[in-house]
Amino acid sequence: MSAINIRGVNKTYDGKTAALKDITLEVEEGEVFGLVGPDGAGKSSLFNILTTLLLPDGGEISLFGMDVIRDYKSVRQVIGYLPGTFSLYPDLSVQENLDFFAVMYKSSIEENMALIEPIWKQISPFKDRKAGKLSGGMKQKLALCCALIHRPRVLFLDEPTTGVDPVSRKEFWDILKSIRSQNITVMVSTPYMDEATRCDRIALIQNGKIIGVNPPQTIIDQFKGKLYTFQSDDIFSLMQVLEKCPLDCNYYPYGEHCHIAFYEDMDTAMPAFKQFLAEHNQSHGEIQAIQPSVEDCFIEIVQRNN
Amino acid sequence: MILKKEFIHIIRDTITLSLVLAMPIALVLLFGFTISTDIRNAKISVLDQSMDTQSKALVDRLSASGYFQVVSYPNNELEIDNDFKNKDIKLALIIPPNFEESLSKESTVTLQVINDVSDLNVASILNNYVRAVVQGYASDYNDQITKSTSSFDITVKMLYNPESNSVYMFVPGIITLIMVLVTALLSSITLAREKETGTMRMLLITPVKKLYIIIGKVIPYMIISFISTIAILVISVTVFKMPINGSLLMLLFLCIIFMLTAASFGMLISSISRTQVDAMMITMMGLFLPTVLLSGFLFPLNSMPMVFQVLANIFPAKWFIMAIKDVMIKGSGFFDIWLYLAILFGMAVVFIIFSISRLDKRN
Repeated sequence: MSAINIRGVNKTYDGKTAALKDITLEVEEGEVFGLVGPDGAGKSSLFNILTTLLLPDGGEISLFGMDVIRDYKSVRQVIGYLPGTFSLYPDLSVQENLDFFAVMYKSSIEENMALIEPIWKQISPFKDRKAGKLSGGMKQKLALCCALIHRPRVLFLDEPTTGVDPVSRKEFWDILKSIRSQNITVMVSTPYMDEATRCDRIALIQNGKIIGVNPPQTIIDQFKGKLYTFQSDDIFSLMQVLEKCPLDCNYYPYGEHCHIAFYEDMDTAMPAFKQFLAEHNQSHGEIQAIQPSVEDCFIEIVQRNN
Repeated sequence: MILKKEFIHIIRDTITLSLVLAMPIALVLLFGFTISTDIRNAKISVLDQSMDTQSKALVDRLSASGYFQVVSYPNNELEIDNDFKNKDIKLALIIPPNFEESLSKESTVTLQVINDVSDLNVASILNNYVRAVVQGYASDYNDQITKSTSSFDITVKMLYNPESNSVYMFVPGIITLIMVLVTALLSSITLAREKETGTMRMLLITPVKKLYIIIGKVIPYMIISFISTIAILVISVTVFKMPINGSLLMLLFLCIIFMLTAASFGMLISSISRTQVDAMMITMMGLFLPTVLLSGFLFPLNSMPMVFQVLANIFPAKWFIMAIKDVMIKGSGFFDIWLYLAILFGMAVVFIIFSISRLDKRN
């Protein structure tokens, strides 16, 4: 049985802004499922609907066969939720926050210690500190503890690593792996494409639409172009010049580099491209062929869809 | 558990806590002393043109009343003028020549009072005191000499009842204000705060019943407001000698019911507002102002336009003030005020039901 089943879900705010358009998704039990997309794509709206906090305009959603709209009370028993914004009590200590949510769920810290132990070990040195005074990474670990305290069957994490430093982000994902081994289904959203590869499957979402669901490797394998990268001293003028490029290509800045994907026969296209750059006085570093990342794939799919 | 958490919130927020506990006491002392229309030891001058036994007895009586302090005995009216300017006297009394003789011979003796009317309130209050003291003196004098024809004509007008003690009027009002302020305002902010910080979402997806969330939020503020109320009552009784003519238990029961109403009104407000600022503004405009203006606390209700008299009915404060005045001043018991209690309790139930239904609205 699938853990989460979403069929044709729509949501429009104030009758104008369409946040979700005909979303259909299926998440298997025990999966780490990633929802990847830029800010404003509709990730949080989907999470709010899944966590019974928001009603969709149309469509069906079920969690382990329970209807999220009608049986919302039973659904609430089996879900853990880590919202996109810090949603614990900042004036309560770490220990008090955890105790509070344990009691709210009629559970206790001891009961599920085995589950939260890997995280608790990291935050317990700060257990008397006020939650509001924790660092970003620590806050999220505490929030995760609170979301897990009643051993939910499915865990919803809305951008858990946004605003968290790279080291803590890595630790956080390691923790998610260990949660998954406890047979808890995890649905996680992130705007960071590099994190997407750590999910079993990812759904790319943009403007309220799902534009692809696959394991990260499959998505990368489906990359159609041939991707190259090179360095430029002046990315801005390079981008302006590339607008005039006659070749069938897709280019975008990537840090200090330029990524460019060609959809042509490279034996003829590459010399033509180098000549084009020389004609427009663009100095550049070595042009290297690279493996696409999830981000490159996302950009390709978005561009091709337009 | 929500209860315990709420207490931790309150205690950790020391500024709010001390404000909530100190404010009522400060407020009742301020109202009691400053808005008080009682004046003590007002400086006066007495121009005694007869200097006989009876005129001295009258002056003694004025000093002994506690309301006046005779600071000078001018010799003529010009000196009275100077006293007003230099000695800061509020009033001058002129006793005519041959006072004792006039008393025994004539039916009416005229005393003259000169007022500093730059403060109209003070002037009229002092006049009333003079009148009261002089009348007391007159009736004693008449009793003494068993001649009941003598009376005094004082050339001032009576505006206030000199024995009316303003604190009696203010204490019920202040108790109402404090309870509205502490219970309604704070409890409306607390739920709105949970909404604002997103913790409300976390609470909602727990299996806890909505009613428990509301009750857990209401009770701590009721307790704090109860402590404040006790403090106000203690000060009123000890400092201002406010009588509690009804039963103390009845009074406390009435206060608890009103607190429940105020707190549930606060819940209602926070269930319709998104942020703490919203909640605060709505409480101020929707509850605090009507409580001050439409409860009959400062301005008598029956002199208002009909619209406002009708409007006042929907605010709990009106019913509470009527009930508390009955209990404190008239000494009414349960059967006299049960209707008010029922109205207040009914309001609380309606507010709570409405806020629970609003709390879990999923859109």
